[in-house]
Amino acid sequence: MKNLNLILAGVFFTVAAAWSGLVITAQVQLGSLGRAPSEEGGPLFPSREPGLAIQGRTVYLDLGCVACHTQQVRPAGQGSDIARGYGVRSSVARDYVLQSQVLIGQRRLGPDLANYGARAKSEVELAAFLRTPASGVNHPPYAFLDAERSTALVAYLKSLRQDYSSPEAKLKQ
Amino acid sequence: MSQENRTGRPRGRPPEGGASRLSRTEAGLRGPFLCFFTFAVLWLVVASLLALIAAVKLHRPDFLGACALTTYGRVAAAAQDTFVYGWGFNALFAVNFWLMAQLGRFEFRNGWLATLGGLAWNLALTYGVVQVFRGELGGFALLDLPREVGPVLILAFLFAGLWSVVTYARRPSGHNFASQWYVIGATFAFPIVFLLGQLMVQWFPSVGTVPALAHAWFVQNLMLLWFGASTLASAYYFIPKILGRPLRHYYLAPVGFWTFFLFAGWTAPAALLGGPIPIWLQSVGVVASVMSIVPVIIVGINFYSTLSVDGGWSRAWNSTTLRFVTVGVVCFSLFGGLSTVFSARDFSAVLAFTSFAQGQQQLLTYGALTMTLFGASYFVLPRLTGSLWPSAKLVHLHFWAASLGLLVAVVASLAGGWQVGHLLADPAVSTAQAGDATAVWTLAGSIAAMLFLVAHVAFALNAFGMILASTSPTSEGRPD
Repeated sequence: MKNLNLILAGVFFTVAAAWSGLVITAQVQLGSLGRAPSEEGGPLFPSREPGLAIQGRTVYLDLGCVACHTQQVRPAGQGSDIARGYGVRSSVARDYVLQSQVLIGQRRLGPDLANYGARAKSEVELAAFLRTPASGVNHPPYAFLDAERSTALVAYLKSLRQDYSSPEAKLKQ
Repeated sequence: MSQENRTGRPRGRPPEGGASRLSRTEAGLRGPFLCFFTFAVLWLVVASLLALIAAVKLHRPDFLGACALTTYGRVAAAAQDTFVYGWGFNALFAVNFWLMAQLGRFEFRNGWLATLGGLAWNLALTYGVVQVFRGELGGFALLDLPREVGPVLILAFLFAGLWSVVTYARRPSGHNFASQWYVIGATFAFPIVFLLGQLMVQWFPSVGTVPALAHAWFVQNLMLLWFGASTLASAYYFIPKILGRPLRHYYLAPVGFWTFFLFAGWTAPAALLGGPIPIWLQSVGVVASVMSIVPVIIVGINFYSTLSVDGGWSRAWNSTTLRFVTVGVVCFSLFGGLSTVFSARDFSAVLAFTSFAQGQQQLLTYGALTMTLFGASYFVLPRLTGSLWPSAKLVHLHFWAASLGLLVAVVASLAGGWQVGHLLADPAVSTAQAGDATAVWTLAGSIAAMLFLVAHVAFALNAFGMILASTSPTSEGRPD
């Protein structure tokens, strides 16, 4: 262990091996994924986000919402996500192919939002909730949000949907 | 206390060393070390304050909630970034520097280059944290600083950190020790990992969930190969140094080193179990996490067998430095054990997305790394400043507040995560109900954050008092 070059080469090999084995192989497997129809000849999913939702994604990011909300539904048997109505199926890599920045999150202090658009309240109710959360709900009030940013954030939240059939995760009839 | 005088203060330089004279090695180190250390302690206090605000916001969401500047997401991200990149990196630059120079008997002649790197690092970080508060934060923890900060940090790291490799390559003595391997490995691996993480997550993100996997890989490497390896480097140095005896079963150390580096990077997918990545990758992560127990056992054999003979534990308790380092070593073992056991799918199904993972990370970043760095500071600072620690009471307050804070924080995160996970396994229980049922653990998190702040202010007061009282013993003086 006195040879510096040997230590450097060994460390480089271990780092490069893990990088290649995990990230590069994932890139090979998932990097070419695109949108796909739920049935032959049907519309392609995931749908493109409306422009307002893209602006709302920026608001979601800059408020740091990702610190408390995940956007990934785990399969049945791996947590209670589907049973508690977070989604109708588990999330798969294809669901995120149009997202310029994937926000799957790591911590749930609030509910998962991967399929929030399918169960969301109306725009008006949602905007009101963000300004003044219902009592008993541990959510900060965002009364400082102006109408433009609030509308964009609501549009983004309403756009979050994973309720379509995907080649990797079919919806049960 | 073997390292303390009758007033209870950590003694610093042994009397026979000459209280105001530095060795040639130390003289070259003094400037860069004190620069990095000063930045580190300042960031530590800032991070503690931000962490306290974030902890309070968890049970009082409307606290400081009148403006976007202080949303929980921004404050929590800033707290983590300042702790990791501000405290952790600056303190490691300083301590790794010192370790390598001491072990290699290397005299720095261009320490200003390292100081320049340190200044660039801290300026870039300050800019990044300000931008986080302005809302320019990304979606991935620890890669959430604005992307333009990344290249500056990498360049600054090359100036500030790679001296450790230079020190080893040009050391006049052929001395070779486990601490040096770990510092070299950590210092060489981190810029590669940081560069790849930046590219794949922030600059050229790939399609779908590949950036999420790249992010998990980056975080695991940052935690294990930089923080974990640097912690072990210090522990391998201070335990035999202060006990005055060689490490037992030292022949196992190379196996521990190589298995640590071999398995660390592969553990990343274990953090994404059940997530939208291929299942085979998740299985690889679980297997690597289980295998990671091998180096944890080996370093445990090295440290605990050395501490277990000739009253080693008692001497560790009575030495300020070794008391902190021993807490660090125990926390490293606990972290390794928990990571192995709780990487299993059955546990992940219940504990994912709860505070349990945060508790594990606290064991590493605070329990192992920070406590070891505190111990190193108590050893090194008196030698470089030629002064005694100004207040023994502040030293004791620092140790007990930090230890108690660590205990409360880790127990609150692990127990709170465990309870929330089991409550949420029942679909009838909402996240709000689970939060109410576990409010006591959230409150305990705030108490822990308060204890950390007290500990860190005590440490900062003592350290800056010592540095200001320093007599600038910049003698070219005595040989090593």
